[in-house]
Amino acid sequence: MSAIQAAEEAAAESALARRGRGGRRGGVGSGRLARRRRRAGIMLSLPAVIVVVGLLAIPIGQAVYYSFTSWDGITATWIGPSAYVSALTDPIFWRVIENNALLLLSIPFAIGIPLAIAALLHEHVRGWRFFRSVYFLPTAISWVVIGMVAVQFFALSGLMNKMLAAVGLGALQTDMLAGQYTALAAVAITFIWSMLGTNIIIFLTGMATLDQTLIEAARVDGLSRWQIFSRVTVPLLKRFIQFSFVITVISAFSALFSLIFVMTNGGPGFGTTTLEFFVYQTAFSQGQFGTGALYGMILFVIMIIVGLVQLRLIRSEDGEGW
Amino acid sequence: MTAASAGVAGAGRSTAATVRRRLRLTTLFALMVLIAVVMLYPFYYMLNNAFRTQTQFDQQSGHSAVSWQQLFTELPVWRELLNSTIICVTAIALILAVSTTAGFAFAKLRYRGSGTVFLAVVAALLVPLQSIIIPEYVNLGKLGLINTYVGAILVYVALGIPFATFLMATYYRGISDDLIEAAVMDGLGYGKTFLRIALPLSWPAIATITVLQFIQIWDDLLVGLLFLQNPQQRTITVGLAALSAGRTTSIPVLMAGSFISAVPAIIVFLIFQRYLVRGLTLGMGK
Repeated sequence: MSAIQAAEEAAAESALARRGRGGRRGGVGSGRLARRRRRAGIMLSLPAVIVVVGLLAIPIGQAVYYSFTSWDGITATWIGPSAYVSALTDPIFWRVIENNALLLLSIPFAIGIPLAIAALLHEHVRGWRFFRSVYFLPTAISWVVIGMVAVQFFALSGLMNKMLAAVGLGALQTDMLAGQYTALAAVAITFIWSMLGTNIIIFLTGMATLDQTLIEAARVDGLSRWQIFSRVTVPLLKRFIQFSFVITVISAFSALFSLIFVMTNGGPGFGTTTLEFFVYQTAFSQGQFGTGALYGMILFVIMIIVGLVQLRLIRSEDGEGW
Repeated sequence: MTAASAGVAGAGRSTAATVRRRLRLTTLFALMVLIAVVMLYPFYYMLNNAFRTQTQFDQQSGHSAVSWQQLFTELPVWRELLNSTIICVTAIALILAVSTTAGFAFAKLRYRGSGTVFLAVVAALLVPLQSIIIPEYVNLGKLGLINTYVGAILVYVALGIPFATFLMATYYRGISDDLIEAAVMDGLGYGKTFLRIALPLSWPAIATITVLQFIQIWDDLLVGLLFLQNPQQRTITVGLAALSAGRTTSIPVLMAGSFISAVPAIIVFLIFQRYLVRGLTLGMGK
């Protein structure tokens, strides 16, 4: 979930452990007790290592190998780097990447709207705790379920079109799921809605940590509510906004499968096929395991890039801080 | 602007300010209600339309319970709820067993290279499911574990371990070394110290992992879709998605199924909300 941040902290921790070796109690020492502790440490961490190696590390290695082969699940033929050339020159692949890029346009909304809602809750108007629970409730339900309701919402006879008609915009009535780009927009809107709860909680947690005296000082200085929000609150929430940004981007790339499967099944055409969905289609609908693994590797590389960007952000921010 | 100008105003300012304050609170409250309607709409929609026949749905009037009966004939609801429960409970138990011991080891029982091993385990968080799903499918297929609970459980465990281990290690780091050392000096041994001292102290972290994983596994589609293709082993979420993909089931029946599948997750959410919030925001605070 908070993959990058977790990795970052783990790295810092391991550096700390290295530095502190020898001197610290609880670090690596010598003697009978220390030997027993080391042995216990190895024994207790072994199951986790076995699971990670056997079910995550080895499969990643296999996936790299598969990506260089033409393979239908029965016979594998090594074709080498040319596998990548032919996959990357496939126009459908670029259509899929375009979909992923377009979905990123939803990120500002997926962060801005919950930020505003969190600010609203943070006013602590009577009943805000109740509303907080209500806003958070959808995070409990499957995106399969959300997708199923969304299909009905966007249908020609659905609520969205009824509302359009009710406000005199009947001319705009359309079956969004029938057009390639409108269907992608429908998936994006559903995605934004689905991320609301998580992001609201992140921002609300952030706001609870804010130094109230700074806000108070800004008020005394005569700043308006909006000025306080945009010039004091939001900059102070930078860390939380970054965190939510990473979670939202990661979700946009790797958590939309259920929504797409239920809402559009990747269609119409390839209109809503994202990279993660393309992996599934290529491997399990068309039986091309090799090419599917290749697209999976590309997804992995994109994830690593997102991770590195995040690390840079954290580093640069720390640099300012010192 | 408003707050500043209110400050300079003279007589009658208290009543004007009160009115303005009231107005503002009312507006904010109305906004909160409006957002609540948007967030709760799917639940209302599911329930409202689950109590309709397809004809009633098309006309959007009248109610009946027929679709619920139909749901139970089209979807082995009880069977699939049971499957979901078995898979969730087993996977969570395994995740907890592996992550609490490993978290304790990484936090309190350091050995040469344990920092690097910990980093490697946590780095596995970066691996997206879609990147390993094909080898996973092939490997578990060779072991004959496709369409068995075991296959799906193994994948869920693998996906859950990195974050759970990170969370447990973070938590155990907060327990004092002296407490652990004292217990060991008393002759408990490291294994028993973990079981009797550390483990009971860490129940809030355990609750967090449990609720996060429950919702993740209960709500998952992709793993179940590939590793549980047999309706006999399917989870409720997968069964529902398969039913909807068939495009032959009426919408009210799908809504009834959606609602039933959501109920257990909602109950868990309502009971453990606090721990879910903590889990979502963990790894961010410093």
